[in-house]
Amino acid sequence: MATDYYLVSVDQNLSESDAKKHIEEQNIQSIETISDRTSIIGPLFKVKFKDGLISTFKAHKHIKAVELDGPVTTRALNGGKVKLILQTPPPNAAMIRWSKQLRSCIDTSPFLYPSRAFSGIASLARHPSPAAHKWSHPPSPTVISDDDVASLASKPLHVLSLADLVKHGRPPLSAQALFSSANFTLSLLPIRLAHRIQALRNLPFIVVSNPNISKIYNNYLHSLSTLLPYKSKTISNLEDEIRFTEVLADLVETHAHTIPTLARGFLECRKYINPAEVTRFLDEHLRARIGTRLIAEQHIDLHNSSQSHQHPDSGTQATDDSSYIGVIDTALQPAQIINSCGNFVSEICELKYGVRPTWIIDGEPSTTFAYVPVHLEYIITELLKNAFRATVESGKSHEPVIITIAAEPENPREGLSQLDKDRKLDGGLSRTREVEENPPIKPFDDPAPGVTIRIRDRGGGISPEVLPNIWSYSFTTFSDADELPGQTHGSGNMDALNAISGAGGSSIAGLGYGLPLGRAYAEYFGGGIAVQSLYGWGCDVYLRLKGLGKPKG
Amino acid sequence: MLRSCSQNRPRTVGLTLTPRSRAGGNKLQCSVRQVHNPPPWRPAYSLDQWVAKEARPISLRQLMVFGRTLTEARLISSANYVRTELPTRLAHRIRDMQTLPYVVVTNPHISQVYELYYKAFESLRKVPEIKTLDDNGRFCEKVSHTLHEHLTVIPKLAMGVLECRNLMRPEDMDKFMNTILRSRISRRVIAEQHLALTETFHSPYHFQDAQSREAEFVGEVLVKCNAKEVVTRCGHEVAALASTAYGPFTKLPAINLSGHLTATFPYILSHIEYIIGELLRNSIQAIVEKQKITGYKGQPAPIEVTICEAQQHVIIRVSDQGGGIPRDILPHIWSFSKGPRSHELLENLEKVPKMAATLQELKNHNPEGTSSPSPHSALDPVTHAAAEKLGHHNAAVHESSLASLSSRPPNLRLGMGLPLSRVYAEYWAGSLELHSLEGYGVDAFLQISKLGNKNEQLTMRASMDAV
Repeated sequence: MATDYYLVSVDQNLSESDAKKHIEEQNIQSIETISDRTSIIGPLFKVKFKDGLISTFKAHKHIKAVELDGPVTTRALNGGKVKLILQTPPPNAAMIRWSKQLRSCIDTSPFLYPSRAFSGIASLARHPSPAAHKWSHPPSPTVISDDDVASLASKPLHVLSLADLVKHGRPPLSAQALFSSANFTLSLLPIRLAHRIQALRNLPFIVVSNPNISKIYNNYLHSLSTLLPYKSKTISNLEDEIRFTEVLADLVETHAHTIPTLARGFLECRKYINPAEVTRFLDEHLRARIGTRLIAEQHIDLHNSSQSHQHPDSGTQATDDSSYIGVIDTALQPAQIINSCGNFVSEICELKYGVRPTWIIDGEPSTTFAYVPVHLEYIITELLKNAFRATVESGKSHEPVIITIAAEPENPREGLSQLDKDRKLDGGLSRTREVEENPPIKPFDDPAPGVTIRIRDRGGGISPEVLPNIWSYSFTTFSDADELPGQTHGSGNMDALNAISGAGGSSIAGLGYGLPLGRAYAEYFGGGIAVQSLYGWGCDVYLRLKGLGKPKG
Repeated sequence: MLRSCSQNRPRTVGLTLTPRSRAGGNKLQCSVRQVHNPPPWRPAYSLDQWVAKEARPISLRQLMVFGRTLTEARLISSANYVRTELPTRLAHRIRDMQTLPYVVVTNPHISQVYELYYKAFESLRKVPEIKTLDDNGRFCEKVSHTLHEHLTVIPKLAMGVLECRNLMRPEDMDKFMNTILRSRISRRVIAEQHLALTETFHSPYHFQDAQSREAEFVGEVLVKCNAKEVVTRCGHEVAALASTAYGPFTKLPAINLSGHLTATFPYILSHIEYIIGELLRNSIQAIVEKQKITGYKGQPAPIEVTICEAQQHVIIRVSDQGGGIPRDILPHIWSFSKGPRSHELLENLEKVPKMAATLQELKNHNPEGTSSPSPHSALDPVTHAAAEKLGHHNAAVHESSLASLSSRPPNLRLGMGLPLSRVYAEYWAGSLELHSLEGYGVDAFLQISKLGNKNEQLTMRASMDAV
């Protein structure tokens, strides 16, 4: 079209004035220099042709290509290269030829384009010129400018309290409450995602170029881009809210397998980054992930449980779930979770070892408290995996694993205890450098009673050589000779195990993430995990969980 | 020694209200500080000399091997080792105290400890090289006298620390206390070992040539502490004390032993008995008090002690169902400067030095005396019997400053049991760890290095200066 702009790239050797002269010989209306020959992309001009006539400079030996201007995207190639793809509206045949040429000359360029340089180019292509707004196409969904990320990441993370999450009320929520929940979620998530993107960007180049890690990185970019359109709007009608919730569901789904993918990626990169750095990054990242998913899943759950009131049949369902507020179950019974996780893990044991360990629950099995069931399930499953595996492998499978549940008494002697005041509710993040980066969620009431669960096994304990490493990510007693879970060329046994193991992606003693991640979950609400090994006898694991208390009002 | 400048007249500083009172113990904290004599300043030259020397750490194994074949030459050599080690280690600790805040060292209790240390330092550093058995004899008397004098150091320090808890950061205070107590253990171990060896050497049944490989004790070190025996014995003693303190009708929990019951390790008997005694005492106390609160009349759940032996260590786990440690106290259990309970603990501590004084009195009247350290005459028969059981090694039981602490009634809480036990445990490269299940009970884990070839863990002044 006559109003379209074209990017013309010329020979490197040409001086700017010469190049301009050559171009002006054709039927052009205006010409503008985008970059000169000292820049990384070579000399580039933005040209507007006169009515209807486009010159392709076919015969010109100095003109290298002519392309319709449009948004530029990247694609990651193997070997760490990044390919620039100029997205244009369906080109005509002539343009196709020239577009190809543009691509190929960049491919053969000796320069590798790290993402930063790409962003530089993108913004270069968008260099504010008087007519810029005329030629900017609607932003492609997968393009996020550096500015967006930087501006979001510079905003502080809101210090969330669980009261925030439940302030919208118990489900089923009214439409108004649902909107306020949606808008609240909207105010938090983009910032959190931007922080994660920035953290990923600061990892070494060679690490983020690993296909697994790069995939996760792109997932985050994608998710942020799906949320950006909503940023300027307020959700005030049901349609928007439904669509927003779908976006959230997509987000949760996309990132469901982050952990195994990251794990695999870091394992593959272990030559290029030292374990301490990995642990530091993962500690921060995975803890932040817990919070982000919690916020998203809470809204999705509130949304879903508020839909039910529209269906007269599901009346009974509402009362059954009345202890739930979104993803929080205010009457969670740990003994139940332990039994169901125990069954699950002992099945895996039976499959792998042919024997089924047993367990006993003592203490106060009828204890209930307020917590997020999925978190507890994850932690217990991981701890039981360790205990059962040890028990079976040391030949003590007839000895039951003894699980003791202890409920903290309601009111400490001095009311709001000094301990709770003094203790920093930092979700265990005092270990990481940037505590301000990811402030965790504070429980409802500070003196909310919690629960301590002790898992005592006779599995021979942890040897002193292994003991210092149990909290490192990707340290696992699986030898290199063993197959990594998830690899296709494994024994049939492994595949069945993986199939059963479920969404966590880890089999028994798999990726070495169970303990540190379990601790991250426990510490997120102010609890923790302590491991005491009696080498030669067994192991005691103490899981302290801080209750989420009763919501006020 | 030149006593410089001030002979301070007794002064009284007026009522001082401690600026920050903790949540507990909210009574008006009026400390009337009678500053009689802030410790006089002595020229630092001699102290500097000794501070510059490094302490030479020793291991249990060295202690044992050394003492197995006693010859005169060995005894003299041991004497000279002690002769130089004691002043060196004392000097380091004195220097530590000198760097504490002024207001802390002028606290009457801490000031007394400071004086004791300085006196000992002055006395011991002047001892010339020991060349004969007579020299050794004189030296041993001097050392024995010093040990005796210093019996009251632990309670005094504890009281001083509690009184000063608002004047220093708790972490710094704990660090200081740990260092000084650790050093104290080391000096007493070295000194008492030498005294024991001297005695063995001079005893009528000692044959110089006999290689007493089967000797149970080498000086103070019990070569084969059997975990099961120690726990059983301590259990009986603590139970005896408890039933006297709480009355004969209180049901006490049983103590069940399981695990590797044949495990043995070399250790200093009084140390291991103190640690296990404290742990059992805490457990019994918690159980009894929980029963009082809940009004439960039946037999309380037993205390489960598990012994686990591996190649390099022995771990003793003490598991009780005493209701756990309340959240408000939990952060302070390992600290010498306690939190909400400090006031009660101070009152209790004031009763303990009198016990040590009583011990001295009793010993003075009872020159042959086995240690009968309790002030309560009602307890005497019980502890007497227990003490006799204790006295199976060496004719004269060395009075141990721990004895007075170990036999106090369990409801006299001093707040020191855990941190002091940890100091003992860590001294020989072991560890003591506690896990509380609030509302249920407590698990304590004592790890002991089995080989006895780990050196003492001392903190060298020299390495601190390097920073």
